[in-house]
Amino acid sequence: MSITRRTFSALGLAAATGIFALPALAQDRPAPFDNAADVQIALVRYLSTGDFFQAYLAGVESQAKALGVDLRVLDSRQDAALQADMVDQAIALGVDGIIIQHGLTESMKEAAQRAVDAGIKVVAFDVNVENEAIPQIEQSDRDLARLALEQAIEDNGEAWKAAYVYVAGIAPLDRRDETWREFKERYSGIEEVAMFGTLDNPIANSVANQARSVLTANPGIQVVFAPYDEFAKGVKIAVDEAGLSSDIKIYSADISTADISAMREPGSAWVATAATNPAVVGQVSVRALAMMLAGEEPGASVIVPPTLITQAELNDSDIKNMEELSAKMPQFNHADVAMPAWMPNPNE
Amino acid sequence: MADTVIRYGFLALLAALIVFFAFAAPGFASPQSAVFIFQSVAITGILALGVTATLVVGGFDLSIGSVATSAMMAAAYAMVVLEQNALVAVLFCLAIGALVGLVNGIIIVYMRVPDLLATLGMMFLLVGLQRIPTEGRSIATGMTMPDGSTATGTFSPNFLALGRHRLDFFIDNLLPVSVVVLLVLAVLIWFFLEFTRFGRMMYAVGSNEKAAELAGTPVKAYKIWAYVISGVFASIGGILLAARLGRGDIASGNNLLLDSVAAALIGFAVLGAAKPNAFGTAIGALFVGVLLQGLTMMNAPYYTQDFVKGAVLVVALVFTFALSNRAR
Repeated sequence: MSITRRTFSALGLAAATGIFALPALAQDRPAPFDNAADVQIALVRYLSTGDFFQAYLAGVESQAKALGVDLRVLDSRQDAALQADMVDQAIALGVDGIIIQHGLTESMKEAAQRAVDAGIKVVAFDVNVENEAIPQIEQSDRDLARLALEQAIEDNGEAWKAAYVYVAGIAPLDRRDETWREFKERYSGIEEVAMFGTLDNPIANSVANQARSVLTANPGIQVVFAPYDEFAKGVKIAVDEAGLSSDIKIYSADISTADISAMREPGSAWVATAATNPAVVGQVSVRALAMMLAGEEPGASVIVPPTLITQAELNDSDIKNMEELSAKMPQFNHADVAMPAWMPNPNE
Repeated sequence: MADTVIRYGFLALLAALIVFFAFAAPGFASPQSAVFIFQSVAITGILALGVTATLVVGGFDLSIGSVATSAMMAAAYAMVVLEQNALVAVLFCLAIGALVGLVNGIIIVYMRVPDLLATLGMMFLLVGLQRIPTEGRSIATGMTMPDGSTATGTFSPNFLALGRHRLDFFIDNLLPVSVVVLLVLAVLIWFFLEFTRFGRMMYAVGSNEKAAELAGTPVKAYKIWAYVISGVFASIGGILLAARLGRGDIASGNNLLLDSVAAALIGFAVLGAAKPNAFGTAIGALFVGVLLQGLTMMNAPYYTQDFVKGAVLVVALVFTFALSNRAR
């Protein structure tokens, strides 16, 4: 290798970051991660199709790779009984740790207890297995809704006519709904003139049909709060078709590459969304499990904080997809949660 | 009396419904609102017209919903990943629809697999197949491909116009292209089934297959053609869906299937036909559209809409079977 100025600056950089990089060296990690190749963990999934779950899996994989542990993925594809069987399968495999990703309390509670009884460390993401030994990994749905609504207040003042998209009975949407109710109480100027919503597949198309009717029936709507990105996509289609893009602002939750391009269309009514990076949630799930394996305590509930993403920020930084979003908005790319000093950061 | 009820009962119900909503829901009785209704049923209406063709020959096609979503993914894949133009994307989708229909037809006619089972299998196959090229991701510009590269193609403006452009019709920018496509296809298939020799032979195959065969009709060919028509119509529905959404969305299309089958079955009751017919299917789709539009404008939650949809279907089937049998 020829020594150039670039080499020196690279060396300098390495020296400067060395103090942070050092704890990441494998031999300095607590047991059992000093010999990580022998550690086996299993991800037992209930939901797996869709962009969110793909990204979640990518996050789990990247953190597992950074730690150097052996990851098994068991996917029950929305079969609650099979998911419980898969936990038993993982116990039989002799894994050291299990991540339960979604599922139903009723079917998973006992299976999770069996895993704990077998001496296996368990964490659960977005499913309550009613077990004190099992920490909950959560994306804070209340914070998601709060961030989006605070932005709506900032943009539009404290009094506006709103339409709200909601389907009851879906846990994350119910939690987001609580925040919406709080805001309506706190700001009496917010007038909800219509509430609609459906989960008929393809959701965006069905919501677009509904939103068209709502916009016609209720002229003068200024804000649409659509706290799920498929809802927001549908509303945007309807707003565009009704030619109201400059009169209505859409606030939502969640984000994907397709959402970014919809928000960045010229004159788009979709002005802001609050989102937790599913890949980061995946990483945090593995990190919380790793802390338990090392004998540390991640806490009973590990909350991954959301980020507010506005149309203006996307345009200013010329962000076109999720990778660029992660690269250009560091707060979206990494959450300083479940990060003891020895934990390797998968993004570095 | 009973005859009049059977013939015009359903149309009268539709008229009454429109009058009711016009008074109950402000903004319902406007040209824009009428166009919304057509637009909201355009995609399911087109699928329903296709499935009508298979019902006519005494068959059934459960795969139309997933053909539509596969066509949507194919259109997105052609433009975003392969960077083709609108025409190529449209032809690609139509070819997929025709191919699926042909395979369905061959499996049913030559392999003697019952129609429901064959098309059920095709439905699952397509739901899986549409996800393979992108490993389960939805397709949009700037998406990351399985190999880590970024897709740089975009939806062609000409393609998007299929779902978004509006033609001037008395009022500027009133009539969306998708509605025009629906109307043209409805008239085409209606004329085809009612007035051409080919269409009448399809009815002959449907009402008495043996007799038709003994009379020298190439029954197998007619049946296969019915599935090809169904597949092509479903892929047209998928093209319009892709153009409206502007992306390739992972979806099973089950709701599309159920809504369009409901429309076709409601169609049995229109004008007392008691058999599949294109005019009835179009009215059936419109009926569901009017109901959903009116209920949404009155802030009715989604589950009441499903309930009402189901109730209408039951009433329509009672019209078809009980009343027309008594009159006979």
